[in-house]
Amino acid sequence: MKPTEQNLPIRSISLEIANRSSVFAVCFCFLFAIAPHFRQLPLWISAIVLFSLCWRCLQNLGKLRDFPKWLLITLVIAGGVGVFAQYWTVVGRDAGLALLTVMSAFKFLESRRHRDLLILVFLCYFLVATHFLFSQSIPTAAMMFVTLIVITTSLITINQREENVSVKELLHSSTRLILLSIPLMLILFVLVPRVPGPLWGLTNEQRGGITGLSDNMSPGKISNLIRNNEVAFRVDFEGEVPPQGQLYWRGPVMAHYNGYRWWQTPRKPLHKFYLTESSPPIKYTVTLEPNGEHWLLALDVPTQLIADSIMTEDFQLTSKKRINDLLRYSMESRPAHLIGGNESVDYLRLATSFPEKFNHQTIALGRSLARRFDNSQDIIDEVLKMFREQEFYYTLKPPRLGNDNVDEFLFGTRRGFCEHYSGSFALLMRAAGIPARIVTGYQGGEFNAVGNYLIVRQSDAHAWTEVWIEDKGWLRVDPTAAVSPSRIEDGIDNALADEISSFRIQNRNPLFGNLLYSWDNVKHSWNDWVLNYDDQRQRSFLSKLDLGIDNWSDMVIALVVLLVAVTGLFWFVYWYRERPPRPAAYEILFNRLLRKLAKRGFDRKPSEDTRAFLQRVSQQEFSQREQLARIVELYNRIKYGRDGNSPQALNSMRSMINSMNL
Amino acid sequence: MISLSLPSPVRRYIDHWFESHNPPSSAAIRLHNRRLYILPTRFGYLFAIMLMLLFLAAINYQNSMAFMLTFMLVSLGIISLWHTHKNLLGITVKLQIPRPVFCGEACELEFEISHPNTSKRYAIGIQYADQPPVYLKLDAAASGKVKLRLPTHRRGLFKPGGFTVFTRYPTGLFHAWGWLRFDLPLLIYPKPQQDVRLQQSMIEQFDGQTSTSTIEGDDFAGLREHRVGESLRHISWKAYAQGRGLLTKTFQGQARPSLWIDWELITQGSLEDKLSFMTALVLAAEAEEQKYGLRLPGTIIEQDYGSAHKHICLQTLAVFKQPDFEAEFKIEAD
Repeated sequence: MKPTEQNLPIRSISLEIANRSSVFAVCFCFLFAIAPHFRQLPLWISAIVLFSLCWRCLQNLGKLRDFPKWLLITLVIAGGVGVFAQYWTVVGRDAGLALLTVMSAFKFLESRRHRDLLILVFLCYFLVATHFLFSQSIPTAAMMFVTLIVITTSLITINQREENVSVKELLHSSTRLILLSIPLMLILFVLVPRVPGPLWGLTNEQRGGITGLSDNMSPGKISNLIRNNEVAFRVDFEGEVPPQGQLYWRGPVMAHYNGYRWWQTPRKPLHKFYLTESSPPIKYTVTLEPNGEHWLLALDVPTQLIADSIMTEDFQLTSKKRINDLLRYSMESRPAHLIGGNESVDYLRLATSFPEKFNHQTIALGRSLARRFDNSQDIIDEVLKMFREQEFYYTLKPPRLGNDNVDEFLFGTRRGFCEHYSGSFALLMRAAGIPARIVTGYQGGEFNAVGNYLIVRQSDAHAWTEVWIEDKGWLRVDPTAAVSPSRIEDGIDNALADEISSFRIQNRNPLFGNLLYSWDNVKHSWNDWVLNYDDQRQRSFLSKLDLGIDNWSDMVIALVVLLVAVTGLFWFVYWYRERPPRPAAYEILFNRLLRKLAKRGFDRKPSEDTRAFLQRVSQQEFSQREQLARIVELYNRIKYGRDGNSPQALNSMRSMINSMNL
Repeated sequence: MISLSLPSPVRRYIDHWFESHNPPSSAAIRLHNRRLYILPTRFGYLFAIMLMLLFLAAINYQNSMAFMLTFMLVSLGIISLWHTHKNLLGITVKLQIPRPVFCGEACELEFEISHPNTSKRYAIGIQYADQPPVYLKLDAAASGKVKLRLPTHRRGLFKPGGFTVFTRYPTGLFHAWGWLRFDLPLLIYPKPQQDVRLQQSMIEQFDGQTSTSTIEGDDFAGLREHRVGESLRHISWKAYAQGRGLLTKTFQGQARPSLWIDWELITQGSLEDKLSFMTALVLAAEAEEQKYGLRLPGTIIEQDYGSAHKHICLQTLAVFKQPDFEAEFKIEAD
């Protein structure tokens, strides 16, 4: 048969009926890959997954028949409609995942052949990627690494084509396969030229489940964040870390007020600003965890812009895209920078407006203050003095408040959290005719001495006020500091030590403090080196290596060279380790004898065994007859004897062969 | 099946290249690097498409872990290319000379597969064209046997070829294979016609009076010159002593009935029908313990009996006017 008529017999191989062990293996690996998603998926989808897997396993055991085709088609359609009904879309992260899960689950019901199982395994590999849209943390990565091994194990099970497989052997093979892939993966990760994304605009979707600051503030809003010890961002300072009291991380600025709630509206971008200050800026790099919003946190007052971001007239830094992924940016701030030196009249009018319907007492107090003092600064001092000297308490568990919430707080309960103090202070200022607004963000942070950076958590969330004074612009006033100076100086957990357990590593676990700081440092480096490895980072890293790799084509060349070198090395190690065993020393000697005889013209005929051949030689080479017989005897003794493999025997065999005169 | 339509020079070149790289072997075939081929399977291509999608998604979401996963799977592909290749490398395939079968029966081919290396080999498949493959697993430096049963549709003498030894282990992304062509006889006798009895009209039966002298038999018939190879027992030593040279005693007898199976006497049917009929006659004659000879145009097989004789007769019938004599074995689609 000629090769041109011959084809790769592909079709019949993939159409073979899958054996039992592969079906079980694929069911298991699918369950393993999907299980972490059960948290996010609607219950009915999880139920479908479990039902399909159970059905397929029972069918595999011969307890159930094939799933009816018409029912399957009906279910596939129903599943698609169900997903649409749940999310009102079929694209995007959550709906896409749901659709993929439902369809894969139904695919199980009709997986009979080798081909179907292979496709399901590929879907499992794809599912691994979907986990990274929810979390890219080290534990997730480790979990997915294990998942990769499990999926690969089932892939090997399918291709092993045996009914009786040894799980240990399979795990061994798949682990080896995955471990061998790691060096190549690292080369690819470092050297494949990165393209700045996104390629299409699907990433601006809003994702649930992310905690962080919101665009409005009402009593109780921030205190919800306090119990969350997730990291909001980490900061590497160039030089000294500023004192705790200066660490105000500026977030959403809110000027709108309806008597209960403060909220922000988009403001115009700042077109230009003048550096009025000559003191050197504080320089630092923020690694911001995804917050699902647009806020870019920066130390008060940010004086730099980063890519794809806007600086508003409030000096609030906002990203043009939702921050759904880790973001790293370098910033500089000047604490004494002037904000809003020539604020518009409209905005100032907004910043002094308030609904007259509620909080009459507070409004009356504000107005009386305005009558008593001519100077804004005196009014501010008077209110702060009230907070400081009267019986106000800083607490996470304030009593519930009604419509006149500020009145109830100032003249009744006097127990509140930062949003109560900042909110009531701002209203008092407005009543007294001083423009005031709320700034939310974070205050403080925990210094990690191991990695020399600051950790800011959601629990550091804070709200303070800014008042506008002619010629001085917007000035920060933090009424919470008046009530509880330790909130600002020592941090939230010290200020509320009897209400919340501390989130600081040092307080939480004095024994393993350093270990935990090291772990956080690992996370920080992970964020820094792995999750933030984008086109810019790649370029700076490669130029730091100083190998002359500084453009696209250099990278590709380096990539190919390294890949070839590493696979070549693997190949060599394999060849060396798995080469056929070397013939024993006596065989080598014996072959030398045969070669000697061949030189004399004695060639072994294919029909002769060694013994017959040597007999023939002996008959013709009569003088060597005894020598030959002794060599053969030694050879047989070494080869078959119990203790024949001694160095002496080998040596005498060698000397005899060498001394033969042929 | 993809049929390649190539211009004839290219085709000749490919054929030549193939022949020179995969010579048929009468001994074992060892799959060294030059005899081993590897290409992605459909799943390999599907996997590649999936990786492209993952890569695009990773770019779009700027998701580092998705990049890492993509690159991990790319590396897995590269490593499995190498593993699939090495799973087959160094394997030796030996074909036992197949037992002749009658056309229409399944022909059983026994392959002995072995390798000298210290690694295990999994899911080694042997396949003829696109017939269902048979798999086996080999321990370190071990050998194993697999049997392939192939349907036969044509009589004749063929060379077993068109076999592949292949593997897709471990990931199924790649198909590594080596062609197997053997310089061994694969003999397929014509299919014997059913319900055939020895009929007088179809065969030429010899009577006692026309029977020839043989060295066996009951009655002494005379002496003739000794031929090399004849038993010394039949030499007339008496005549030798008389100085008449070596003479062999001959006898006449009717030890077995003898007959001729003659092409000329069969008038009906096509070539294949006639051969089929003659095959049945050979079998019937052998079964009835008769001596029989075969007469075909250009070929005469002397009368004899026994399984060796039967084999010679059947072989002669099998290759008679075979258009593709000693071509590679081929299963024809029905």
